[in-house]
Amino acid sequence: MVDFIEISVVAVGTFLAMSMFSTLYGKSSPLYALAEESYIGFATGLTIIWNIDYIWKTGIVNIMAGDWVLLFSILLGAMMLLRVHPKYSYVARLPIAIVLGAQFGLSLRTIIFTGFIQQISATIVPLFTGGTQTLLYNWTIVICVIFMLTFFFYTIEMEGALGMSAKFGEYLLYIAFGTVFAQTFMGRLGLVIGFLQSYTIPDWKTPYLLGSMVLVLALVMYMDKAGLLEKLTPEE
Amino acid sequence: MAKDSGGILRWMAEYDRRYVYLALFLVMVGPLLRPIGMPISVSPDTRQYYQVLQTVQPGDKVFFTLNTEFSGYNEIQSGIIATMRVLVEKHARVCFGVAHVEATVIPDLIVKAVQAEMTANDYQYGRDYVILGYIFPNEAAVAAGAQDFHGVVTQDWLGRPIAGTFLDEIDDWEDWDMIADFTTGIATSYLVNHYALRGTPMIMNCIGVMIASEKPYLDSGILLALLQSMRGGAELEFLIGHPGPGLTAMDGFSFGHYMLIIFILVGNVGYFGYTRQQQMKVDKEAK
Amino acid sequence: MAEILKNRQLQIIVMMLSFLFVFLPYFLNVPQLNTASTKLITITSIVTAFTIALAVIAQFRRGMNIINRRSRGWYFKAYMLLTLVLMVGFSLISRETGPYHWVMFAVVNPLSSVNYGILAFYMASTAARAFRARNTKALMLLISGFIVLIYQAPLTGAYFGGFEPIALYLGSTFAMAAGRMFLISVTVGAIVFGVRVILGNEPSVLGISKEEK
Repeated sequence: MVDFIEISVVAVGTFLAMSMFSTLYGKSSPLYALAEESYIGFATGLTIIWNIDYIWKTGIVNIMAGDWVLLFSILLGAMMLLRVHPKYSYVARLPIAIVLGAQFGLSLRTIIFTGFIQQISATIVPLFTGGTQTLLYNWTIVICVIFMLTFFFYTIEMEGALGMSAKFGEYLLYIAFGTVFAQTFMGRLGLVIGFLQSYTIPDWKTPYLLGSMVLVLALVMYMDKAGLLEKLTPEE
Repeated sequence: MAKDSGGILRWMAEYDRRYVYLALFLVMVGPLLRPIGMPISVSPDTRQYYQVLQTVQPGDKVFFTLNTEFSGYNEIQSGIIATMRVLVEKHARVCFGVAHVEATVIPDLIVKAVQAEMTANDYQYGRDYVILGYIFPNEAAVAAGAQDFHGVVTQDWLGRPIAGTFLDEIDDWEDWDMIADFTTGIATSYLVNHYALRGTPMIMNCIGVMIASEKPYLDSGILLALLQSMRGGAELEFLIGHPGPGLTAMDGFSFGHYMLIIFILVGNVGYFGYTRQQQMKVDKEAK
Repeated sequence: MAEILKNRQLQIIVMMLSFLFVFLPYFLNVPQLNTASTKLITITSIVTAFTIALAVIAQFRRGMNIINRRSRGWYFKAYMLLTLVLMVGFSLISRETGPYHWVMFAVVNPLSSVNYGILAFYMASTAARAFRARNTKALMLLISGFIVLIYQAPLTGAYFGGFEPIALYLGSTFAMAAGRMFLISVTVGAIVFGVRVILGNEPSVLGISKEEK
């Protein structure tokens, strides 16, 4: 036996989801605006809660436990908030400078390895030893990385051998993009199927899904015919 | 006759995109309402992921990181639940952390999905698993947690102290036996940079969009294994012998792909049969 | 005090010191330095969490602006601000059950799913309408896309094993190489940009206007 709360969750969820899907009709509608503003409002509230929770747990709780150094984080955070004040926005520059410096330190000390050195060393692979498949893979990887990289040289003239290399790299990129498109489509398809699964399993949810779809489509078509879409849709 | 074939070919070149929307919706929903149960093959990457999971020992501390919005969970939930099933059967100790506010409800869903296995293996909160909640709001939080775990995390997601749980054994990145990351890309690069780069074993289940960008990490050895999108999750369910949402979705998955291929082919037939002919006519008249 | 806080040179010096205090201990491995550096990183994580308030304030300002102007559909913005406040209120009651839980599963989760899921439809329709074999490059893109699409459908792999080696080859070489190439390029760009910011050559990042330069 399904309780009322569960039914209300499914009914409202499917209605709002179909309202958001109504953009596929081709015109903006107030139903889409309702879904959009619902998501923005509730999601922003959610973000506020969990960030305050993080500041509380990581900052305030640790300060109360005796870690007084973290008082600076609360002070700097409060200074950061003055960024929106027309007169005192300069107060936020100090915390911005500290945060930016630290963030750059964090990222630069690691991406040099993960994004550059290790990628270069992984591209240096044996080209004359190994089985047929390994050799094919290795040669393809080396050729692709080198020629694709030359396509993105923007600071020097692309002529002669470099020009030919860039041209070849472009063709290799198109093959890669075809593959990447297929993988991206797979991802998005999986996302929609996963969403539809949550409203078709178990079976009792399916009528709400299909009913919401029909209801929203009927409403949008009616509003379109009656000329209400333009009137009721909020300004962009 | 010329008018008819022009008409069909013209339609093929210029059909309304809403036919594509409707067709896609039907081929996805149909198999969910009436499952067919088509077979599935398993890719080498999924086998590698499965083999790495098999190396987990009882008592191993696994950081189960959910770097995903709820939309991403819909895509990779099959991989998430299948991985958790294996970890529970191996009696690993699991710590959930999330990097997006929408994902704060996901650990509860995972625990409910594998409740039977957890009960059978006598899993207790605190001793065997902990839910930390939203602990990765930014890169600095990930880095701080990697260097001084208890300096950053002192409570679980409901505000209960983590003192006395198995997390007492964690000081920094070296103390984790594995990171299992489920991601749409939020804090994954930070985990790679601040944990995996330092030597913490890391496996990943990513959405389809991220496959090309994460494969370099797999190829360079930073990642041990990569499970790819919903299909990878379905293959993992098949390998562990426990069907779930992934395998159920594979019928619609197959039809969705075939539908796209058909529409592209139809469009190209229309292009060569109609649009290109029209363009050539116009060019001829212009000359 | 104001002049000190407005001083551009001081900002750059503070930023450089902060950078060095995080960057150097990683390579020097001195325990006391590591502890102090970790503390600075923790402080940074908390300060960064405060910045969400700036986005919320901007959201509020924009919403109030639209409401005050009584633009068409202003009541939607009022509804949005109301839902924001409600969500904060619900979380104070309970985050495990109750209205917070209801909103998560009835509103946030389905809409988050559709927000990204709708792209599948757009991708399908755009691909169906724009993927034409107009020239060699487009043909190469189409062929590689077709092979991988066919392979990705699980049914194909079960009955027609021939696509698997080619699709795996394309994914593990061409696509992976493109991903590696982008990763290297982005890394080099990030390093160059980071160095420019640390040396003070990108004042806009620090919120310093052109006039103040």
